[in-house]
Amino acid sequence: MIDIAGILMQNILYVILITLGGVLISWSVHFVPVGGAPAAMAQATGIGTGTVQLAAGAGLTGLVTAGAMMEITSSAALVIAAGAVGAMIMMAVTMIVGTWVYVYGVGCPPASAKVKYDPITKDRQDLYVSQGTEGHGLPTVSFVSGVIGGALGGIGGSLVYYALMSVENGLPLADLVGIASVFAVGIFFVNAVIPSYNIGGTIEGFHDPKFKRFPKAVLASLIATFFCALIGVLAIGGL
Amino acid sequence: MEPLTGMGVLALMGAAATIAGASEDLESDVGSQSNPNSQVQLAPQMMYPHRIYNKAVSGEPPSNALMCAIGGTTASVLMTTGASAALALAIGAIVAAAIHGTYSVTSYLGRSASQKRFKQPIYLDIIRSHTPVIMGYSFITTFCILVVSYLMVAVLAHPFPLPLLAFIWGITVGAIGSSTGDVHYGAEREFQAVEFGSGLNAANSGNIVRKAESGLRNGIDNSWFCAKFGGPVTGLAFGMTVFLSGWVTAVFDPSRGDAIGWVSVLAGVIIVLILILWNRNMEVAARAAFGTYKEDEAEAEVAA
Repeated sequence: MIDIAGILMQNILYVILITLGGVLISWSVHFVPVGGAPAAMAQATGIGTGTVQLAAGAGLTGLVTAGAMMEITSSAALVIAAGAVGAMIMMAVTMIVGTWVYVYGVGCPPASAKVKYDPITKDRQDLYVSQGTEGHGLPTVSFVSGVIGGALGGIGGSLVYYALMSVENGLPLADLVGIASVFAVGIFFVNAVIPSYNIGGTIEGFHDPKFKRFPKAVLASLIATFFCALIGVLAIGGL
Repeated sequence: MEPLTGMGVLALMGAAATIAGASEDLESDVGSQSNPNSQVQLAPQMMYPHRIYNKAVSGEPPSNALMCAIGGTTASVLMTTGASAALALAIGAIVAAAIHGTYSVTSYLGRSASQKRFKQPIYLDIIRSHTPVIMGYSFITTFCILVVSYLMVAVLAHPFPLPLLAFIWGITVGAIGSSTGDVHYGAEREFQAVEFGSGLNAANSGNIVRKAESGLRNGIDNSWFCAKFGGPVTGLAFGMTVFLSGWVTAVFDPSRGDAIGWVSVLAGVIIVLILILWNRNMEVAARAAFGTYKEDEAEAEVAA
């Protein structure tokens, strides 16, 4: 018989860390400038793919770098920083190549339709939005927002992985890595999906009015991840 | 590990990833998957029936993740029976390509059949000619991703199991492919009839180009066009992601101490800052070169 209460009490810190990681992932998704299907036709500002897909791509790249780092160091801060860097690199590379395609392949300059002036560079935006579109490409503010989103997602994902790996258990290391990483991927997806209801397909970054809705998603993620954390900690701690 | 060996392996991984990225994007162009397919799907409803393969099994990241996870699992099972890595990875990729081909055919038939009321035909010759190409590209993608994952597990001693690494890189290659190369297909190739240099006007939605350089346009014509720019840059993007995310720890090896680990983090941040500046540079250059789409109303009034 598994001592459920005992395992939970022993690992309460990790339950909290996993929940915190989930909340960070949920918040991070709001920073990522995604234009969904319209952006693939240069019809909306942002990257031309779905919220969940891009956030997951970046966050999971971060998980790969964090997993590699965790093999060779015991420093939690370093593991989490490695996760953030992996996700930031994936996001920044994707966005820079996206800009290549918008500028050289489609021939339209980056422009935001949500604000008249870029909050970072103070450049005029509305004049560069082509007719019948909601902006296109990645103006500087969206790019910076995307990098911040990548970093937070990477931190969240690696925090979840680090916490799951730290739960006391009787598993051989290879099995523990397998089960912890699958749980981390699963918790990542749960928290990447929740904010997409807030975003509704497109968001330009932290300057977008939709960004202000993040507290609702964060609260929903807090509850959802808490249950995921309980199950994850029980599953690993009980083995 | 010797730093030079690490760099060599990383270079090989980067090269495999570049091929994987390019073939992933071209696969999605031949079969028309991901976001630009919304226009291919919409066209018959706007009374523009076409001869373009219409699959969209799912979003690109899940479909590539499925392919790579199937390939990775098959390869890893084969390797436990003592098969050589090269054989196991090749067979894994073949299984994945066959399953992807099945999904593509059912998806094309299902999607086209559901548009019968809009008089969209199902072209059997399109299935015969395109499905092997789709499977070929998906074989290349899966094989290259398996090579990347295998090198990470076997040489770089990454702790994640092979199928999980293949799954994660599958998600990432799909996310990158649908964010970069697909824009070339969706915003340029599908709407070549409108003037170059602007996003798709919402009024033109569904009015995709249906005539090819010769005859009626199909998916292979689209991949021919996208292979000139969209495909290769997707490859570069995925190659850069795999290479740069490993490069920072290969050069500044954290196993030599946490301080060097922090230097590797710093190196990653510097790379990202350089990319931000590069994006800004391109933004300014593009605005200067292309100009504005409309006049500033306030300035126009002053001039009048």
